[in-house]
Amino acid sequence: MEHTYQYAYIILFLPLPVTMSIGFGLLFVPTATKNIRRMWAFVSVLLLSMVMGFSVNLAIQQINGSFIYQYLCSWTINNDFSLEFGYLIDPLTSIMSLLISTVGIMVLMYSDNYMSHDQGYLRFFAYMSFFNTSMLGLVTSSNLIQIHIFWELVGMCSYLLIGFWFTRPIAASACQKAFVINRVGDFGLLLGILGFYWITGSLEFRDLFEIVNNLIHNNGVNLKFAILCACLLFLGAVAKSAQFPLHVWLPDAMEGPTPISALIHAATMVAAGIFLVARLRPLFIVIPYIMNLISLIGIITLLLGATLALAQGDIKRSLAYSTVSQLGYIMLAPGIGSYRAALFHLITHAYSKALLFLGSGSIIHSMEPVVGYSPDKSQNMVLMGGLKKYVPVTRITFLLGTLSLCGIPPLACFWSKDEILTDSWLYSPIFAIIAYFTAGLTAFYMFRVYLLTFDGCLRVHFQNYSSTKRSLFCSMSVSVWGREPLKIDNENLPFLILKRNINNKVFFFSFFSKGTYKNKIYNNVINRMQYFRTYFQNKYTYMYPHESENTVLFPLLVLVLFTLVVGLIGIPFDQGVIYFDILSKWLTTLTNPFQKNSVDWYEFLTNAIFSVSVSLFGLFIASIFYGSVYSSFQNLNLINFFVKRRPRRILLDQIKNVIYNWSYNRGYIDIFYTKGLTMSIRRLSKLIQFFDRYIIDGITNGIGVASFFLGEGIRYIGGGRISSYLFLYLSYVSIFFIFYQYFYF
Amino acid sequence: MTSYFPWLTIIVVLPIFAASSIFFLPHKGNKVFRWYTCCICLMELLLTTYVFCYHFQLDDQLIQLEEDFKCINIFDFHWRLGIDGLSIGPILLTGFITTLATLAAWPVTRNSRLFYLLMLVMYSGQIGLFSSRDLLLFFIMWELELIPVYLLLSMWGGKKRLYSATKFILYTAGGSVFLLIGVLGMGLYGSNEPTLDFERLANQSYPVALEIIFYFGFLIAYAVKSPIIPLHTWLPDTHGEAHYSTCMLLAGILLKMGAYGLIRINMELLPHAHSLFSPWLVIVGTIQIIYAASTSFGQRNLKKRIACSSVSHMGFIIIGIGSITDTGLNGAILQILSHGFIGAALFFLSGTSCDRIRFVYLDEMGGISLPMPKIFTMFSSFSMASLALPGMSGFVAELVVFLGIITSPKYLLMPKILITFVMAIGMILTPIYLLSMSRQMFYGYKLFNVPNSLFVDSGPRELFVSICIFLPVIGIGIYPDCVFSLSVDKIEGILSNYFHR
Repeated sequence: MEHTYQYAYIILFLPLPVTMSIGFGLLFVPTATKNIRRMWAFVSVLLLSMVMGFSVNLAIQQINGSFIYQYLCSWTINNDFSLEFGYLIDPLTSIMSLLISTVGIMVLMYSDNYMSHDQGYLRFFAYMSFFNTSMLGLVTSSNLIQIHIFWELVGMCSYLLIGFWFTRPIAASACQKAFVINRVGDFGLLLGILGFYWITGSLEFRDLFEIVNNLIHNNGVNLKFAILCACLLFLGAVAKSAQFPLHVWLPDAMEGPTPISALIHAATMVAAGIFLVARLRPLFIVIPYIMNLISLIGIITLLLGATLALAQGDIKRSLAYSTVSQLGYIMLAPGIGSYRAALFHLITHAYSKALLFLGSGSIIHSMEPVVGYSPDKSQNMVLMGGLKKYVPVTRITFLLGTLSLCGIPPLACFWSKDEILTDSWLYSPIFAIIAYFTAGLTAFYMFRVYLLTFDGCLRVHFQNYSSTKRSLFCSMSVSVWGREPLKIDNENLPFLILKRNINNKVFFFSFFSKGTYKNKIYNNVINRMQYFRTYFQNKYTYMYPHESENTVLFPLLVLVLFTLVVGLIGIPFDQGVIYFDILSKWLTTLTNPFQKNSVDWYEFLTNAIFSVSVSLFGLFIASIFYGSVYSSFQNLNLINFFVKRRPRRILLDQIKNVIYNWSYNRGYIDIFYTKGLTMSIRRLSKLIQFFDRYIIDGITNGIGVASFFLGEGIRYIGGGRISSYLFLYLSYVSIFFIFYQYFYF
Repeated sequence: MTSYFPWLTIIVVLPIFAASSIFFLPHKGNKVFRWYTCCICLMELLLTTYVFCYHFQLDDQLIQLEEDFKCINIFDFHWRLGIDGLSIGPILLTGFITTLATLAAWPVTRNSRLFYLLMLVMYSGQIGLFSSRDLLLFFIMWELELIPVYLLLSMWGGKKRLYSATKFILYTAGGSVFLLIGVLGMGLYGSNEPTLDFERLANQSYPVALEIIFYFGFLIAYAVKSPIIPLHTWLPDTHGEAHYSTCMLLAGILLKMGAYGLIRINMELLPHAHSLFSPWLVIVGTIQIIYAASTSFGQRNLKKRIACSSVSHMGFIIIGIGSITDTGLNGAILQILSHGFIGAALFFLSGTSCDRIRFVYLDEMGGISLPMPKIFTMFSSFSMASLALPGMSGFVAELVVFLGIITSPKYLLMPKILITFVMAIGMILTPIYLLSMSRQMFYGYKLFNVPNSLFVDSGPRELFVSICIFLPVIGIGIYPDCVFSLSVDKIEGILSNYFHR
């Protein structure tokens, strides 16, 4: 039993060889490495399943007899400071590593098929394995510096993977945005770590907690400074977990491949912030106000994320906003003092959301041959609809994931979300009302996604979605909105804007045509595209989406299994007299103070009924709005719906318009950041550049020019002409004589 | 154990000797010169490593391998060499970077004999500077450095090379005047006969005003070289115009001479003035980090942008030196080495890619990642290293400097908080300009009108160079003790001065 703990550091290093060997292989022997590409996927899945074996073993041991194991070795030794590396195995670590390895295996298996036609297949697996390494390192780390190191490494992996399709400008700016915003979080984290190092002189968790506790009880520390440092630490969690002011990177991060969105941006990396909060709970509890801040940020985020998710047209983006909202729930839970619920929801949400993302990836893959390879089209829910005929298995898994996220009873998320909602009643009624309202919203937007995707009939062929046929499109749109004079308000119609991005498409086609990019000039690509388009119009019009292959469906089904089962770990069982609940037993060190020793089933039932009825109400509204089978064409998205009925219900329409604009413009937060921060930084840099160029450098150049003129002047005087010398000489002599005569005579 | 064999003299003289004999080589094309220079550099590097391995004790903080020949009787000028834990790192860095720079300079075909000659002369000058134990010798080596750089700049470079070379020589020569004043002042002060020995000077004490004047004179010279704002404007111009192997030497070694001199002379010989000046150094360093980073956004030229980033990174060295703690100084030395590697590699990669696409302005570039994946990989790795990603050397250096300024007993609470905060803002700005640079260069898609034959990925030589630099970057990042163990005793010795008084 001890042995597992002693060798637990292996789980950190297991996925690493794949990255290193793929990296070296691609640099030195590219062709040989590419020839055995499937082999690498196999190896990485194998190594990760070994990790999973280890973590299962650790988890079982933690459940049976939970004790904390810590191993340290020195990293740098100096006279003043010593940094240590080590690993810490405790319940939190075992939960997280189990989560990471299971979701990671599923995603790796899935992406073997999903990415199989991509040029960057090997690169993808290298990044993925490196991500797994650094994420496992993050959860097993034993001090704050180590956390910071792996914290930035996962950020870098996220950067690389968002920018995976680097030929697309959107992806390029998205990955930079993600990195910079995460860097803001790292900035906070580093400053917080340094602040606590200064206060306590230690970076080790246990020493740190003890010292801070003593200091606060003895008033040995400036309380404001401690609060500031704790806030800075929390800033790191805010950025990584996409909480309110810094959530803007997560929706943009959907530019990466879909398996990445499932693994990194839904299940694991974004949970790192919550992991940090859970890890530092003893610290945050003793410092006042910080818990209130955490719960406040959580509640803002969950409401904001839900409202922004209401009218997104892109399937992955709406899932991303849903992730933001759910992360808000998870962040709210520790703020109101229920860590157990936070971790529970973290686990259940990770599986459900991974399932949803993988499902959306399967949908995207089945749509791609029909609508084209641009994410503006293949992820656009406007063009989907009625997919349940074509992709039945995906549809069932997606439905189960949706229902789980909505909080419908037998599924996983119900149990955890209900716990959070119940606990929020105990904390503050206002928060509870917002949380319940958001639960309804969650049900609404998730079911909206489901209905737009699978219900009705396929809208691609109605849309005639082709940029050459603009006139035709317009005439069609007149027939749709024929009651009023045509006002095509480009800002409000996503699918018109998308047309402008024709360049994008060019990037796409050239990217996917292997090896031909070199000698294609622009026109050729255009020609090929037009060829493709005609081809598409003549033949592909009759083509329908297909169900994905089995290697894609297998992970989906496994995740469905998890979604069904994983709720059990938190459900209290009555075993005779002993109260039994796996998660609580697991988390003996982290159980919350509110947790009662016996479960009041009556109270539980009333709460559950209330939350389920809220969710069902949301579902019902969504099905009224979007579920109309007969006229799905008219209900393309919210705006069409509004435009159609404008004369009748003006006030309601206006409200809806406000909501729609709010959601479409992403709550105006991105605009604010672009206008406010980016522009001001640019202006500042221009100013400083001007200062540098014309003042500091100007002084130097000015001195140069001045000395030049001085030299010229002297040269002119000392020009070497005898006559001028003679002239000067004689003139001075004559002046001298004049003075001489003037004074003496 | 002391060997009387003059190892250091051989190490210093060998490159310049080899350089002067380059004229006797048969004129059979560039290949001969290339191989000759590479072999000399490699031999020198191996010799240095051998000497340091077998004739140098790490745990001894005194000067080792000392040599002392009297050169000029009347002036007490000695050929006095010696190394300690402080100088061993920069010397090894010099050997490493110069060897790789000669390897990187293979595409130079115009007058290559002179080019390699100048590089070898520079090699000698740098090693001589880092190992000299005599003030006047230090000054001579400092000046010896300038001429090859000036020639390298003015003969091989971009369109405005003469302007930038003149700017460089005027700036540095202007700084050298102050250095000379300082050297002579310190040498002639006090006793009847001039003393130029470091060890004797270290025990000498001056009146405060005089010490401050000396300190200031030296500081100006180093501020030009390091560079410290506001004397930094030569750097972007020079780097923007120079050939990339010259840039490697400039960024890798030449900038480090200023920081080295600041530790070697200002900290060791003038401790009193240093403790007076150190708050100003820290403030200037903090401003420099932010200032240079924000200047860097505005630069359109790729190389100038990297040059500004290296100015920004120099700020950490200055802060580390100014913190007067063990930790901070260790961090400064680590940053000297780490930036030596990273800066050199970034200049190399940007130079090679600029040569391929024939553009230097960032807004003209774009989408070169598809034809050149290897350069893309290496460039991203090094920009990650430069923005202090953990696991690479830059992170350790910056973290240790941070810890140094935090633990420094010299400063009060509020200034510390402010300084740390502003430094950390630099941590946010760095990725913005580095990543947007790499985005503008590599990301996206673009079709070029350049013939395909130019669009080749980096060959084995270039890959070798960049990987050679990458390995120590990773190595230091994962196991920084290997650098700390060199310098830690010596730094303790230096700092013990400050706590005696």
